[in-house]
Amino acid sequence: MAENDSKNKVNRRDVMRFSLNTFAGLAVGGVSGMLITNSNSREMVWQIDPNVCIQCEKCSTNCVLPQSAVKCVHSYSMCGYCDLCSGYLEPGAVSRDTGAENQLCPTGAIKRKFIEDPYFQYTIDEELCIGCGKCVKGCGSFGNGSLYLQVRHDLCLNCNECSIARSCPSQAYRRVPADSPYILRGDEGAKNSS
Amino acid sequence: MIKVKKLIMSLNILLFKPSFVLSQVVERFPKPDFQSDYTRPLLQTPEPRIKLYEYFDLFVLITALSLASYFALKLRSRTKMFLLMIFCLLYFGFFRKGCICPVGSVQNVSLALFDAAYTIPATVIAFFALPLVFTLFFGRTFCAAVCPLGAIQDVVIFKPAVVSPWIAQVLGMIPYLYLGLAVLFASTGAGFIICQYDPFVGFFRFGASFNMIALGISLLILGTVVARPYCRFLCPYGVILNWMSRLSKWHVTITPAECINCRLCEESCPFGAINMPVMEHPVNRGKSIRFLAVLFILLPVVVMGNGWVFSRLSVPLSGQHFTVSLAAKIQSENSGITTGTTEETDAFRASGKTVEELFREASVIRQKFRTGGWIFGGFLGLIICLKLINLTVIRRHDDYTADSGTCFSCARCFSYCPIEQVRLGNMDPDEASKIKKSR
Amino acid sequence: MNENNTSQIWYTAAKRIAAVSAAFALILSVLLVINYIQTKRIDPLNSKALNQLMVELQKNQNDEALKEQIRALDLLARKAYFTNLWQVRTGSLLLFAFVLTFLIALKYISSFQTRFPDLTAVPDYEQMWENRLFARKYIIFTGLGLFVFAFVLSVLTEDGLSRAGMEKGESADEVSTLPGIEEIKQNWPNFRGPEGIGMAYNITVPTQWDGRTGENILWKTEIPVHGFNSPIIWGKKIFLSGADRNTEVVYCIDADSGEILWQTELNDIPGSPVDRPDNTEDTGFAAPTMATDGLRVFILFGTGDVACLDFDGNRIWAKNIGVPENHYGHSSSLITFRNLLLIQYDQNSGGHLIALKTDTGDLVYDQQRDIEISWASPILVNTGKRDEIILNSSPDVISHDPLTGKELWRIDCMSGEVAPSLAYADGIVFAVNQYAKLAAIKLNGAPEILWESEDDLAEVSSPVATKDFVFVAASYGTISCYDSKTGERYWFEDLPKGFYSSPVVVGDNVYLMDMAGTMYIFKTMKEFSLVNTCELGESAVTIPAFMHNRIYIRGFKHLYCIGD
Repeated sequence: MAENDSKNKVNRRDVMRFSLNTFAGLAVGGVSGMLITNSNSREMVWQIDPNVCIQCEKCSTNCVLPQSAVKCVHSYSMCGYCDLCSGYLEPGAVSRDTGAENQLCPTGAIKRKFIEDPYFQYTIDEELCIGCGKCVKGCGSFGNGSLYLQVRHDLCLNCNECSIARSCPSQAYRRVPADSPYILRGDEGAKNSS
Repeated sequence: MIKVKKLIMSLNILLFKPSFVLSQVVERFPKPDFQSDYTRPLLQTPEPRIKLYEYFDLFVLITALSLASYFALKLRSRTKMFLLMIFCLLYFGFFRKGCICPVGSVQNVSLALFDAAYTIPATVIAFFALPLVFTLFFGRTFCAAVCPLGAIQDVVIFKPAVVSPWIAQVLGMIPYLYLGLAVLFASTGAGFIICQYDPFVGFFRFGASFNMIALGISLLILGTVVARPYCRFLCPYGVILNWMSRLSKWHVTITPAECINCRLCEESCPFGAINMPVMEHPVNRGKSIRFLAVLFILLPVVVMGNGWVFSRLSVPLSGQHFTVSLAAKIQSENSGITTGTTEETDAFRASGKTVEELFREASVIRQKFRTGGWIFGGFLGLIICLKLINLTVIRRHDDYTADSGTCFSCARCFSYCPIEQVRLGNMDPDEASKIKKSR
Repeated sequence: MNENNTSQIWYTAAKRIAAVSAAFALILSVLLVINYIQTKRIDPLNSKALNQLMVELQKNQNDEALKEQIRALDLLARKAYFTNLWQVRTGSLLLFAFVLTFLIALKYISSFQTRFPDLTAVPDYEQMWENRLFARKYIIFTGLGLFVFAFVLSVLTEDGLSRAGMEKGESADEVSTLPGIEEIKQNWPNFRGPEGIGMAYNITVPTQWDGRTGENILWKTEIPVHGFNSPIIWGKKIFLSGADRNTEVVYCIDADSGEILWQTELNDIPGSPVDRPDNTEDTGFAAPTMATDGLRVFILFGTGDVACLDFDGNRIWAKNIGVPENHYGHSSSLITFRNLLLIQYDQNSGGHLIALKTDTGDLVYDQQRDIEISWASPILVNTGKRDEIILNSSPDVISHDPLTGKELWRIDCMSGEVAPSLAYADGIVFAVNQYAKLAAIKLNGAPEILWESEDDLAEVSSPVATKDFVFVAASYGTISCYDSKTGERYWFEDLPKGFYSSPVVVGDNVYLMDMAGTMYIFKTMKEFSLVNTCELGESAVTIPAFMHNRIYIRGFKHLYCIGD
């Protein structure tokens, strides 16, 4: 009798467990289903909006990588190719040459090349660039704004929550679809958005 | 013409040091028409790495979960489980750098549920749901071998000490608190705290902030004597897995057949997840029933009271949200309480957004925190009551069993069982029955 | 036996490997920590020594040796940075390898040490139950602790936002609580009284006093910090401001006793310039007169700092609208329209009409004005059809819609450095400036010039107009009276001292004070008919405020209250 009772009990518990199991399964399925409707088959990646960026230099220090995945990029299509480049030269630089005392970039990552009088081409060496944005500030203040910061996706680990985004004072970071992962300016930007 | 331009330019640079500006697109200098055959280089835009692995990761996850379940329930092999765990540690941990993991995906799901503007990638939903579904069927095999956070702790278990059950019970409350906070912060858009305080991701990436590495190292050192401290006393995803695992259809059993109560497995579990048999009620039943009655009466009070006090916490909690803290900074600067400005407030003022708009947004977020605080507090109150009920009600059972909630299905205990040894052919069935008799 | 031997050898080997790798791992981690501390202490990319040299280079721009030094140091710093990166990367990889070796060796070692279960202890159900009771107790404690902690935290945290919320609550019913035009005309809310046109309504004020003997002087209060702004009044509270290079302060004075009710110093306004702009001594930093909307008072200083206080002196908001580029110093006064604070901000770099929300200070519009710098203050005009804010400036007098800032019309009639504000009466606006002209602009229909005159023009003093007359006071002491409709000059009177203050019409009398503080009271008539001349006994260039049947005059040092 007692044995029978305990068997019944076990059975009752099994039924209860089964129904709860089904319920939990439905709950997980339901939540997932609900989310699927507002989901994207595309992955999202982090990107900095250069129009919101204030060049606070936090990109260079707050990335989880030892050398930030944020680099200065150059939209050549917008560049004025100025001899007196405010992104390349220290404000009040004594002369317009490649001497270290005239260069704004702390790592010397901008290469200056003579094209034709009076134009110079500026190229970023991303191996050296630390993403501090000093040149971006110079170019944005007095030039055409053709230098700006972008997350380079060959380097970015795409953390679930970007640690630069967390500390960005102007909230310039946002998630963008992985198939258009850059927010570019100039012709590059126009091509990208079309 | 060019001379004049240069002059203006140098004047500009001399007069104005770059001050606080948003980087702007202003065509101050016309694009040059090159006389030589120079062509402008094009900006290179390397593809994100994630696109390569998007679906492969999912494939690896499903395979690993299936294998782990197969190893735990069918093969009952600790060695294979260990090898799989090492593979997953290397793949999800050191190769894929720990992102995205199911533990963190809890936050993406919360954010997606409450913020329509956030579109959640389908793979993230899969990463969240698949381990749960597998757990519903096979128990926490995800924890056993697939989770890189669990794996990195598992490899450093050397001399696991027994954590007194009552301490384990009390410490076991922390994950609920952590989960509640993480969901609250994620759903209000205040940030992903699980990712922020992930102790091991720094190892996977070979670099992180000093505090993160220090936290990770201390947890690993602790982990040599207290097995898997993060999994047992912190992991927020573990809470959900625990629930699912309690209801799992098939769960690992210590013995492949009938338990002979030989007690050999008693201390085999480094996680304290083996339930001893309860042959008799050692309890004063009346006292227990009285306690339960009081508990049931108090339950709504506890839930509501906790909800109330946590909704009142909306002020400090919402202060963690960028918008709210910005609004507070703007407010205190504008009214002269604080001196000077910060980068955040400067950026806000340059953005052209009005203070009113900011305050409106902040108060909406504050309201979310208030509502969220009610739910969070109520949830905690309910969990405390359920824990107490669970600790008071004693069910009779005759066997040594793996605790279906906290067992990670790691397959460590199997080899301690004489019946298992018989099954494997390492032991004579007679010897096993001798052991049974001696008990 | 042999097998045992080999495993023994392996065991010892594993032990040694473990020891060696542990030692290396330890050394590496110490090195990494030292490295971390070092780079934390001196950031190679932001070297102080290098910055120092750069500053020196600015002084000696042709010092080649210095340049060489900078180049060498810069190279060193960059090398240090990238070497450090390499060190961290290699170091952590090596550390990883050593830890891995250590772990594998340890695993191997532990495989020799099989632990046998200890079965001596008998399972103790009592203890198990004890354990549960313990767990129960401490979970209850934890729950209570959490509750208390949460409660204390919620009580202790100060809410940085609650006051903002309160303000928002106020702004909701703002429009209905704002005083109407009739109430405004009972008060003296801004520069040159209601609407800024130099008119006092429905009062009679003394025509006889003497500041030197104290006759009819009800009280006299010294204002600690000087300013050229004029008093404004709402109810029984008089507001004025003072400023010098270091301080910006607002005073509230009781109209009956002359007592300073409160004074609020304004510090730490976001964006306020550290270096105060230069200006001339006869403008100073507190030339703009304050304004009130009946709920709050507003102040503008020569630094571009704008602030809003409540009637008890509490700061509601403050901001800087940009440092004025103004060679004399900014002087244009404030005026409010509905829930907007309007600022004429005509600078060397361009003209602006700025509107801020009175409750939050948020920018509503910043209307660009293609005119030259000016020092005049705005007037508000209701033509019967619409509200206009009209600004005197060179070369155009421009009218804007006060709600949107949009330009309504403009008349080209001014030149030079415009300081006098406009006068308005009976549908006609009067603009004047020295070396330009006096122009009457009729607003009915398309605005156009009605008449012009070029005699004895005002340099600083603003004209005042009634239905029939317009009065102009030149800075060299000549008062002229014109027919407002035809421009016929009825009379002019040369007086000994010049006029910077502006005439105010009170009933049938015009009150006009010269630079020495002598008030000329004359009739609004076709002939010059002097009612009286009263001495203040102190030089004054501000505009008197007329209210409570009294006159309030700010002299160079004191505020006077004149009444019977």
